[in-house]
Amino acid sequence: MSKPKEIFVRLDRCVGCHTCNIACAVEHSKSKNLFEAISEQPTPKNRVYVEWVPPEHKVPVLCRHCEDAPCMHACISGAISRTKEGVVITNSDKCIGCWTCVMVCPYGVIGRHMETRKAYRCDRCPDLQAPACVDACPTQALVYRTADAFSGDVRQDAAREMISGEGR
Amino acid sequence: MVVKQMQYVIIGASAAGMAAAEAIRKLDSENSITVLSKEQDMPYFRPMIPFMITGKKKFSEMMLIGQGPYQGANINVRLNSTMEAVHTTDQTVSIKSGEELSYDKLLIATGSRPHIPPIAGIEAEGVFALRTLSDARAMALRAERTKHAVMLGGGLLNLKTAFALLERGLEVTLIIQSPEVLSQLMEPNDATLIRNALIRAGLRVMTGCSASRILSDANGVNGVFLDDGREVVCQMVCIGKGGRPNVDFLSQSGIRVDQGVVVDRFTACNALNVFAAGDVAVTFNSTTGERIVTGLWTNAVEMGHCAGRNMASQPTEYNGTLGILNATQVADVPFVSMGIVHTSGTDYETHVAAAPKAYRKLVFTPDGAKLVGALFVGDISRAGLYRYLIRESRTVKGIKSSIIKKQLHYGHILKETI
Ligand SMILES: Cc1cc2nc3c(=O)[nH]c(=O)nc-3n(C[C@H](O)[C@H](O)[C@H](O)COP(=O)(O)OP(=O)(O)OC[C@H]3O[C@@H](n4cnc5c(N)ncnc54)[C@H](O)[C@@H]3O)c2cc1C
Repeated sequence: MSKPKEIFVRLDRCVGCHTCNIACAVEHSKSKNLFEAISEQPTPKNRVYVEWVPPEHKVPVLCRHCEDAPCMHACISGAISRTKEGVVITNSDKCIGCWTCVMVCPYGVIGRHMETRKAYRCDRCPDLQAPACVDACPTQALVYRTADAFSGDVRQDAAREMISGEGR
Repeated sequence: MVVKQMQYVIIGASAAGMAAAEAIRKLDSENSITVLSKEQDMPYFRPMIPFMITGKKKFSEMMLIGQGPYQGANINVRLNSTMEAVHTTDQTVSIKSGEELSYDKLLIATGSRPHIPPIAGIEAEGVFALRTLSDARAMALRAERTKHAVMLGGGLLNLKTAFALLERGLEVTLIIQSPEVLSQLMEPNDATLIRNALIRAGLRVMTGCSASRILSDANGVNGVFLDDGREVVCQMVCIGKGGRPNVDFLSQSGIRVDQGVVVDRFTACNALNVFAAGDVAVTFNSTTGERIVTGLWTNAVEMGHCAGRNMASQPTEYNGTLGILNATQVADVPFVSMGIVHTSGTDYETHVAAAPKAYRKLVFTPDGAKLVGALFVGDISRAGLYRYLIRESRTVKGIKSSIIKKQLHYGHILKETI
């Protein structure tokens, strides 16, 4: 069986344009349309973040769907599970807004809907062929591939090695 | 040739026990795993039991097996099975029914029970200490004929219980001996925003006093007599005074107990083939090395996972836990407390910032080189990055000012790493 695709980041290509943020928020809106999404309540949230590291590095960050996801093991309500495609998802109905996942995520990529008191994160856009952020990225800093295909490229995924102590 | 099956026996079917069972099953698809629980309910997410009091969730929505990492494949859970003794020489255990089970590998994961202080009248009907689903059911019943509930102790458990009772429309008063709520998780000055949120939510808080006697009549509790001479009328009392490891059944076993069950770095006890994990075990603080017993779901799962791997002959070192590792939301105020946050009278380097809706405290080693604790109230975003730094005990160097200002993001950590 071929491994599922993941979102990979090519740090050298990111120019910090934040197009991914907008595409992500729109895809996670009710209307899925930019102009309507802007006025929706609750405000649609993006799940990919573009951080800036001085002097000039731009770092897109999003849920890595860690192999032995700390958030999933820490969840005190059983709301976090892994789909057979390898995506770590939070079930909103089960989430009780205790924020334990926020406390243990070593990437800081779990957001909080304040209005509904539910946690959210990247879900790899289950309704789309490729995640909205990847599709929208004008410089192809975000790519959607299998790990094997991606490691053919330069693997900028230092993140994985870094948290090897966590992702048992 | 028939090979005799190996028997894994796990005492305790909660966070630690079930995490261990899953870890074993992942490594060993063949041998038998039996998990015993003295409770009458199938394993459930213990922290969710306040929802049984509010009625907001049904039991089926709290069940553990089938959710998240708990698949329960070929794991035999036996309920109503109270462990009475462990015989380490012949590797058997005795259950209250009289039955004996033999084990090849045994895990003690019996958790803890509420500490009940010796207060006169405490055995009255209507006095509770919330720990199990049965407790929650009994509280829900009593709540039907309760107007006012008094909570003894201002810890997280009592706050959670208090909110559940408030939601049911009861009047609730917290009686706290210490000067402020949540004294285990923060210092009095750190708790202002939380205290205000409690008051806004309608909780009554009385500090600096304690119950000296619980009053009752034929209908159970009808009041609490305080040490300062005051009397509070109430129909329910909840005790939240911490827990004690469930180790009674080990008294004749030769297994070393010092408050909790003592284990080595590989979660093994002093007796051969016996392991322990979770609230019942003595663990250690990963920052200070100090031996501690905890009451943390997160730690119970992590330790149980390690123990399971060790039982299935995959040596896995357990790395300890932060003594404090709590996240929650009280009323509309979220907070996260991690690591060392009690700093008064110490020489830890401490940075505090207080704003109307957010409070934070970042604690570094006295030489300022490493982050050892963090408390965020109001704004807890990206708290996990700080936990990561505390846990890894890394020198913070160039990112220290971002930590103090709470502007840390993953890019900083990545840059420090590569
Ligand atoms: C209301 C509430 C909210 C909480 N919220 C949080 C939270 O937000 N975050 C957090 O980290 N922690 C929280 N906790 C604490 C957390 O639930 C515990 O730390 C965790 O359940 C410990 O797991 P454990 O497996 O070690 O033991 P336990 O959950 O205590 O389970 C012990 C098991 O052993 C069995 N057992 C005990 N004695 C015997 C015996 N003699 N024979 C047979 N079986 C026995 C019991 O039936 C049970 O199955 C909360 C607890 C409560 C009550």
